[in-house]
Amino acid sequence: MGQDGSTGQDWPHYGGSYQFWRYSALDQINRSNIKRLTPVWAFQTGVEDGGLQATPIVVDGIMYLTSSWNRVFAIDAATGKEIWHYYYKNPRQIGIIYSPWNRGVAVSGGRVFMGTLDNYVVALDQKTGRELWKVNVEDLRQCGCNITGAPLVVRDKVIVGVTGGDSAHRGYLSAFDAETGRMVWRFYTIPAPGEKGHETWEGDSWKYGGGATWMTGSYDADLDLIYWGVGNPAADFYGGSRKGDNLYTDCVIALNPDSGELKWYFQQVPHDVWDWDAAYESVLLDLVVKGRKRKLLLNTNKGGYTFVVDRTDGSFVSAWPVAENINWITGVDEKGRLVGRKEPVVGKSTFICPSIGGGRQWNQGTYSPQTGWYYTTGIEWCQDVVAKEEEPVEGLNFFGGAFKMRPLPKGESHGHLDAYDPVTGKKYWSYRSKYPLLASLLGTAGDVILTGDVEGYFFALDAKTGDKLWSFQTGSGHRGSAISYSVDGRQYIATPSGWGSAVAGLFPQLWAESEDFRAGSTLFVFALPQEAE
Amino acid sequence: MIWVSLLLIQTVADPAVLQRGEIIFAQSCATGYCHGAAGAAGKGPRLRGQSLDRNRVSEAIRDGIPKSAMPGWKDRLSEQDLSAVIAYVVSLEHADEAGLPEYPMPPGTGPAAYVDFPGPAEAKQGRDWFFDATRLLQCSTCHSVDGRGIAVGPELSGSTLEDQDRFLSLVRASRSQHVLTATLTDRSSFPALRFEQNEGWVKLYDLTSAPPVLRTFEASSIASLVDAKGWSHHSVTRDYEDKEIKGIVKYLAWLRSQE
Repeated sequence: MGQDGSTGQDWPHYGGSYQFWRYSALDQINRSNIKRLTPVWAFQTGVEDGGLQATPIVVDGIMYLTSSWNRVFAIDAATGKEIWHYYYKNPRQIGIIYSPWNRGVAVSGGRVFMGTLDNYVVALDQKTGRELWKVNVEDLRQCGCNITGAPLVVRDKVIVGVTGGDSAHRGYLSAFDAETGRMVWRFYTIPAPGEKGHETWEGDSWKYGGGATWMTGSYDADLDLIYWGVGNPAADFYGGSRKGDNLYTDCVIALNPDSGELKWYFQQVPHDVWDWDAAYESVLLDLVVKGRKRKLLLNTNKGGYTFVVDRTDGSFVSAWPVAENINWITGVDEKGRLVGRKEPVVGKSTFICPSIGGGRQWNQGTYSPQTGWYYTTGIEWCQDVVAKEEEPVEGLNFFGGAFKMRPLPKGESHGHLDAYDPVTGKKYWSYRSKYPLLASLLGTAGDVILTGDVEGYFFALDAKTGDKLWSFQTGSGHRGSAISYSVDGRQYIATPSGWGSAVAGLFPQLWAESEDFRAGSTLFVFALPQEAE
Repeated sequence: MIWVSLLLIQTVADPAVLQRGEIIFAQSCATGYCHGAAGAAGKGPRLRGQSLDRNRVSEAIRDGIPKSAMPGWKDRLSEQDLSAVIAYVVSLEHADEAGLPEYPMPPGTGPAAYVDFPGPAEAKQGRDWFFDATRLLQCSTCHSVDGRGIAVGPELSGSTLEDQDRFLSLVRASRSQHVLTATLTDRSSFPALRFEQNEGWVKLYDLTSAPPVLRTFEASSIASLVDAKGWSHHSVTRDYEDKEIKGIVKYLAWLRSQE
């Protein structure tokens, strides 16, 4: 029996558990009775720009929810009554593309931790919402970077990533002492001169080479390692001035949580020139592969490939696609190397699938120990890309080119949600969606997979067959992450609803009608009806 | 009718200006997730085929839009390029889908011409040191000048900027007139800067490590707050060489001369 990554009464971490399964062991709500699921309360955050992209945290019957512009709410998770709120005072001008959303907090040891749009980390008193400490990570006005991802707390360390991967900026992960806010370590995702890996950068390109850590990592308590995905190198589409593999961009890195020391890395895309990232979640699974028990890590990138590696040492196990329309490579060989690269060209348009929006978006998948399957979304869409030589200007956008969304060569652009064998990528079923699905998946021991679509429907599929069991119209598209928890023996399912975000903004290039999609920012909570006394 | 069409042409920008505007737009506004190729929508709003007021476009481009991701460009683009991109965005009112350029990036020379530092080279060198992001601890970690940096420590102005040696000795000082030692009732202590005090709460910057942390305490949890003996400004400027500090003074003195 391996580590159990399922959640129970609480939803204590951003990814559910440290293993990031996004799977709840609760089964009061199940495939037989889910059609009776009923809304029990809703919570409106009051700010709808950027949509509602959060994952709520639930600890001991209290929910901690964030919205755009760094609002934090503590809510009675059974009734929806607000306990306290904290509205962070952002400057009037943020002026960078990584805004105004926030994707969640971390809760630990009586404190609530959040990164802010102007690049501070704040700690709040869990009971009152009062600010305990606040520390600036780097000046927003200089670095063009900030924090939108949820922190990860391991023991007394608050580990926080940073955006800025599409700007002239050098990325890092920082760890702060939970009590005092003092910075304990910083790991730069791009090695400085004299450090190992620096030779994979040309000239001064390391100074502005991207490598953002904009999502949230995972943690293996037995190995005492944190795992974090690192984003694309900058400039995104032009690599001519950063020749080399560009470590540790597009890598999953394993670090010691106390020291920030690098244990191993696995690079999915050496010298990325497509803005693919490897920044999404890392799912920790203990599975038998070819008769051998393995400690695995599964990470899907924006290029549409899932990479499975051994999480003790980063050695390659397998890779498989989550989208059908992928032409930037022809495949991945048995050693994990990319084959048949098709790169953007300076001054000339190149047709590349998937689009910059990704073969999958950041919204996370789920692993069910009951079916043994990994569930994730996939997107079919393409783009024209033109690369351009570009000089970096510190803190400003540094894309090195431009793109235009394009429909598929054959058939209509669309999204899907699929059930896979996590190691081989064998597909068991597929649910097709008219538009790409941009909300995270939630799996439960009731054998249901829940998510929302961009048209506002929150729905449940049978984990074994993919059949749709139930749906509910929430009034605005889904871009956040649903969770499940229980209070006093009653199971709840909560989902953010609220259309918005960077990728939502690209939709009208393919679907003109989506320009009129309604924004929103509401959390809906569902449960089974209580029997009449 | 010739004069009518001439009049129409007068209100339409010069094609060369529009072409320049198109290149600036492609590189500064269409990039990434912003306004999309030729304004066809991205994270930022769609601009093609919209009726846009020239004054509002100009204001938004120059100053940015508060409470949004739209930055101001007046300090980043030359006046000529600002005018060109404003003219281009306004011209998109008459653009339709059929008119979308075949390539997302129009042909044209070089990257957008960002405004260069207006001061002398030695001041620019000093500025680069002041804001040097390759150092974990840079001057701007604790001091704000010219609209950048975090204003934790005191403002850097006054007569010391005229005397490089005096400035250097202040930067290297083993004592600081501003820094206190805070001792908590649990007997822990740290070098602190007073920030705010009210209704039973005290906010202090904790200077134990960089970056400084703004911590909030119940007044009753602070045992004492006295002049620091254990903290020196030298301890946070060790990574800077003397010649760099002197270069930084030149930058600060130049800034002061511009006021």
